[in-house]
Amino acid sequence: MKGKAGMVGLGLRRDIAEEILDNKILTPDFLEFAPENWMGMGGAWLKVMERAVDQYPITCHGLSLSLGSPEELDWEFISELKGFLDANKVAIYSEHLSYTKSRNAHLYDLLPIPFRQDAIDHVVDRIRRVQDKLERPLAIENVSYYTPVAAEMTEIEFVNEIVDRANCKLLLDVNNVYVNAFNHSYDAKEFIGKLPLDRVVYIHMAGHEQVEPDLIIDTHGQPIIDPVYELFEWTIQKMDPVPVLLERDYNFEDLEQIQGELTQIKSILKRHWEVNHASA
Amino acid sequence: MHLRKETIAIQEELGEYCRTGEERELPGITPGRIHHYRRLISNVVHDTLRTAYPITVAALGESQWEQLVQDFFTEGIPQTPQVWKLPFEFYQYHAGSESGNRMDLPFLDDLLYFEWMEIEIHTMPDRPFPEFVSEGDLFQNTLAFNPEYEILKLEYPVHTHPVREAIQMKGDHFALLYRLPESGNVQFLGLSALNAYIITRLQEEKVPLNEIKNEFARVAGIESGRYLDDALEKYLGDLLERKMILGFIKE
Repeated sequence: MKGKAGMVGLGLRRDIAEEILDNKILTPDFLEFAPENWMGMGGAWLKVMERAVDQYPITCHGLSLSLGSPEELDWEFISELKGFLDANKVAIYSEHLSYTKSRNAHLYDLLPIPFRQDAIDHVVDRIRRVQDKLERPLAIENVSYYTPVAAEMTEIEFVNEIVDRANCKLLLDVNNVYVNAFNHSYDAKEFIGKLPLDRVVYIHMAGHEQVEPDLIIDTHGQPIIDPVYELFEWTIQKMDPVPVLLERDYNFEDLEQIQGELTQIKSILKRHWEVNHASA
Repeated sequence: MHLRKETIAIQEELGEYCRTGEERELPGITPGRIHHYRRLISNVVHDTLRTAYPITVAALGESQWEQLVQDFFTEGIPQTPQVWKLPFEFYQYHAGSESGNRMDLPFLDDLLYFEWMEIEIHTMPDRPFPEFVSEGDLFQNTLAFNPEYEILKLEYPVHTHPVREAIQMKGDHFALLYRLPESGNVQFLGLSALNAYIITRLQEEKVPLNEIKNEFARVAGIESGRYLDDALEKYLGDLLERKMILGFIKE
């Protein structure tokens, strides 16, 4: 998928699965699954998934690997995951740089890992072991966070050392950079400028919700705002073409609007990546 | 283990705060923001369970339902990485901790079990289907059952009666849940003990009805004859119409 400039995808959510597969309004170039939401299913949902795999290139974005947790990785789950990724010809598998499990209890949301050296060592080791088991590179996502916890270094130092030492790929979530820059008062472009953009294999775009004067929550339920499009356009000029995904988890009432976002992302890509290719 | 004890403790304290809501000492946090994590996690858990258990929510009312969810959220240790399976762990937690008895809701385990099994039958991995033909004789040919079914044994008939009525009907009740082959939709039927037994035995033995119907007569305590044949024909013919029986095993 990497070589195909201008591919814009959408998450396969059950609420819009039929709509996507029937190609009535929504016409993404590829689909993204959260494997946890589809693994081990039969019946009607398996049929939907099989149709999706037949019709579209597939990426997968994990939810529950919990790379930052103190407890041991769930190897039974990872084995099952490997089977799922292999069976569905998944081009890219990504996960969050966060933890979702504490004291052996799943929490089903993304908690911030302390930006600390020992946490880096821990996460690097775990990413390497997961990559070995899956026999594929893992793309880790820069997550949105609403407060740092016990940080001893900056976010960019934390992310960069992990990507470098784990020899993994990066999923650059442009909306998350915008959200974090707003929430923690730093410069989004400066942050992106310091990332190893040659490691980016995948981009996420999404909407968010400002809930307090100084706080944005990364909801994936609203349209993308113009400053995030602007940050996206600025970013893609600094890197090679990769697939771009629109994340939308709910608020599916206006599908035309969602298709409009796919179209807008694509038009931005065309302005830069296809022109670059033509002149290469 | 690369993590320092201090880092582990901080991570676990954040997790515990999210589950219990009890204030924790967390260094280096931005004041007034940590509660958003608890709110977001709570929303996922509440929404997932409410969606899975609409009949239980309606039967219990908001106060008792919220108590069940809160107890699970605080005390349960969700093990599944797949959040759509969380309702099963919710059922297991409350059955294991006898919440129904403590809250004077004796039907609770049955109701949660029945609602979970609707999800389970809908989503479970496909089972191999037998090769079958649609033409045949109910008595002389081996019946091809839809393999995607479960028979539930319940103490209260929560699948056929509102709970205020079901609570007066403690006994042995059976529910058949099965998945329609084309649509994947789940159907359910209330069964007598004998009808549940007939399905189970025909599935186990995989022989024509004529070879086993005398056993059904003995179990039912009736003579094998016209009356039994009529009853079996009506019952199994109905299952055929409802696609619980697909047809007849191809010979």
